[in-house]
Amino acid sequence: MVATDEELVARSMAGDAESFNQLVLRWERPIYALAYRVIGRDEDARDVCQETFLRAFRALPGFKGQAKFSSWLYRIALNLCRDWIRRKKRTPVVDMPEGVDVVELAAEQGPVESIEDLVARREMSGIVADGMRLLPDEQRTAIVLKEYHGLTFQEIAELQGCPLSTVKTRLYQGLSVLRRHLESRGMTSLHNGRAS
Amino acid sequence: MSDTFVCDDKDTLIAYLYDEIDPIVRRRVEEHLRVCAACTAEVTALSSVRVELASWSAPETELDFQFVRKPAEVVPPAAWWSGVPVWAQAAAAIFLLAVSAAVANVQVRSGPDGIVVSTGWMSPATVVPSAAGPTTVATRAVDETWKPALAALESQLRNEIKSSRDAASNAVRASTRTTLDASTLKSIELMIQASEVRQQREMALRLTQFNRDVNVQRQADLVKIDQVIGQYAATSGAEMARQRQQLNLLRRVNNPQE
Repeated sequence: MVATDEELVARSMAGDAESFNQLVLRWERPIYALAYRVIGRDEDARDVCQETFLRAFRALPGFKGQAKFSSWLYRIALNLCRDWIRRKKRTPVVDMPEGVDVVELAAEQGPVESIEDLVARREMSGIVADGMRLLPDEQRTAIVLKEYHGLTFQEIAELQGCPLSTVKTRLYQGLSVLRRHLESRGMTSLHNGRAS
Repeated sequence: MSDTFVCDDKDTLIAYLYDEIDPIVRRRVEEHLRVCAACTAEVTALSSVRVELASWSAPETELDFQFVRKPAEVVPPAAWWSGVPVWAQAAAAIFLLAVSAAVANVQVRSGPDGIVVSTGWMSPATVVPSAAGPTTVATRAVDETWKPALAALESQLRNEIKSSRDAASNAVRASTRTTLDASTLKSIELMIQASEVRQQREMALRLTQFNRDVNVQRQADLVKIDQVIGQYAATSGAEMARQRQQLNLLRRVNNPQE
């Protein structure tokens, strides 16, 4: 039977490092993806992810279980992303990971995807990444938390420290900017949805 | 909240889009969408944006963070005599001193030259009759009295030390066995888990490599095909151009007025 986060947290607090490793294994991917989408750099996202778990490990004795463990981790990760953005003072960009070329990317997708599909998907991914780069940090973070991590409005409001209505406004404004960006890049499905 | 949905209510529109909305409000929005083309178009477009967002994925990099703790320092087992009471240790020291003195045949004499201390068996002590005779006799009498007492003390201490040692070693052995059993089991479990994870990773790695090799080969083949088609197209294009030039030349020769 798979142990819950709460059980693993309790064991980790009792000094079982292996339980904490299981938590890391369970959450490293979502935390990395969050950091990558918010700050947009592979290497820095890895650093943020690692630092998130280090801080969580150190702060574990202070974790009283008021929030879910995942929310707690997200909070730490978002604070680190915010610090990173503030420190670097540069617009987040989305880089191709180091050492990866198009052939390798094609190989990773497996034989079920045709080259045309692959190219189209990579192209769309790049367009979306460009659009996300246009957004202010708060809007981008709200969209990432909602779209890719499935958090509720309330959870996002708690993580971002703002009212619920602000979260909805950020989402609306962010999606509208993305919509205009995608339309400008010739996304016909969005044109079809435009009001006459 | 009003009974009808108004177009400017973007918060409600977003709540509807993400399906985090009260059912009653949802019905109002749906009623409004039936009659408002602008809002319908907006909801459709924002839904499409959400679909496109799904195409943006984070790179599949290996993370594998591991937290490793330094192994705890091994505390050496306590000395066997640590369980013996201090008074018994002091008594044992005195007893050992006394036994050593007896073995070494220490003799203390007091005479006109003062107190004389002598040791060894090689030259047995001779009693020199003197004015100090009664003192030597008294010393011998004391020796005779002490010997049984010392023997009794020796046997008592031996028993006590033996029982304490047995008790202490039993306790240490029991605790060591418990710790060993638990820690050994734990480490075996960890080794098995690590081995399983390693095997799974290796299998995934092999599959990925195989997959990659196949696709790289396919890519290479596609490029070759593309090059061959390009070369063919270029060759045939040049051939056609040459033929067209020759035809033009022939036409001009036949009809110089053109």
